[in-house]
Amino acid sequence: MRPIIGITSYVLPATWGVWHDISTALLPYDYVAAVTEAGGRAVLLPPDDTDTDVLRALDGLVLAGGADIDPSLYGADREPLTDSAHDRDVAELDLARAALAQDFPVLGVCRGMQVMAVAAGGRLHQHLPDVLGHERHRPAPAVYGRLEARLTPGSRIAALIGDDPGIRCYHHQGVADAGTLKVTGQSDDGLPEAVEDPSKRFALGVQWHPEVTRDKRLFGALVEAAR
Amino acid sequence: MRRPLIGMTAYAQQVRYASNELMAGMLPMTYVKAVHAVGGRAVLITPDDPDVDVIESLDGLLLSGGGDVDPERWGAPAHPETSTDRARDESEFLLVRAALDAGLPILGVCRGMQVLAVAGGGSLHQHLPDVVGNDRHRGAAGTDPLAAGAASYGRHDVVTRPGSMARALLGAHLTVNSFHHQAVDDPGAFTVTGWCPDDRVPEVLEDPTRDFVIGVQWHPERTADLRLFQGLVAAAMDRAGLQRARLAA
Repeated sequence: MRPIIGITSYVLPATWGVWHDISTALLPYDYVAAVTEAGGRAVLLPPDDTDTDVLRALDGLVLAGGADIDPSLYGADREPLTDSAHDRDVAELDLARAALAQDFPVLGVCRGMQVMAVAAGGRLHQHLPDVLGHERHRPAPAVYGRLEARLTPGSRIAALIGDDPGIRCYHHQGVADAGTLKVTGQSDDGLPEAVEDPSKRFALGVQWHPEVTRDKRLFGALVEAAR
Repeated sequence: MRRPLIGMTAYAQQVRYASNELMAGMLPMTYVKAVHAVGGRAVLITPDDPDVDVIESLDGLLLSGGGDVDPERWGAPAHPETSTDRARDESEFLLVRAALDAGLPILGVCRGMQVLAVAGGGSLHQHLPDVVGNDRHRGAAGTDPLAAGAASYGRHDVVTRPGSMARALLGAHLTVNSFHHQAVDDPGAFTVTGWCPDDRVPEVLEDPTRDFVIGVQWHPERTADLRLFQGLVAAAMDRAGLQRARLAA
């Protein structure tokens, strides 16, 4: 039996066929395909803030990309360009905290890495161009920034992608403080690109989008940890 | 206390949202909210790489609405109005057979009821207006399905068979919403236990030999009447050995 990998989903008004602007739990199919190709069985987790007992039925967790996190959840005032989805925030922070507490295999992608950082007591930059003075992490609408990650020798992420650390980013927020997690990858401007908890079996967050390339190095490592 | 885990079959569909258009695994939130409202925990099962291993993790299965079942499955040529999704068929027929083998509680909604019928060896009418001579099952006259609100569903009565699970859950008579152009012709191994009284179109089918296997042709997830979802979650809790006390809350 394949490990069951739960992937958090977006909730958005979606349009398809004869249906217009229906509130829909959805997830870009690249995530599902990346888990499937890495040998896992994906199920989608619509947001639910009641409890985290769904982890009992899962073997691993992917915290997917998406909108900004409500800054009140890391004790900051909202800045003008911050656009958050509260239902997802609460549900995913609960899942991230539970996964870290239970040493449950977890991979955070983009927003998912930011969720891990906030769950670990950290906080975010709310608009990177204000902080860094450039837009290379999100060059234009629907265009990925192509960067190279500098990885900490001996880290999990260095072991996984050290021989080919090219990454594709698309985000306007970033991790300012990773809390109890360790920053193990940075872009050349110093922004955290990877965070991990080396004391856990597999707790890794990446600021880029490995699902777009269906990167088996990362998804394969999650699935292996989930076996 | 653990909640029962309800797997819900999802679409793999090209969708648009905001300025994006992409292939997504997806399901309308109405299904998710209905299951959460009655004490279940919903997870979505996408039709990728079909296999049935996920069944072992679930306490119940919901077969959701969607496009038409490929008529090849009951040996009929496709009607011009029939629009199918082979990947979803393949995934859902594997899942429904495995769920029946595992004794999992199942609720089929709209297409989900039709999947049950065909999985049970039955067949469908491919275009109901050809059979009943009107469009009433597909939307109220003069309404626009593009509006996509509950009001765009046709409404009609349903009567249930005495002694059936449908009768126990829903009473003798109810009014339902309706948005479908196909319908069950032969229910196969299942028993029809609810009809539209005006045209005798099957609206409920069930397997009386099982604890909870039931399909309905309407869309209960788009109403405030969650009795079918309560029935599914209660049966899933029983199967998982969970206390039902929380349902009363």
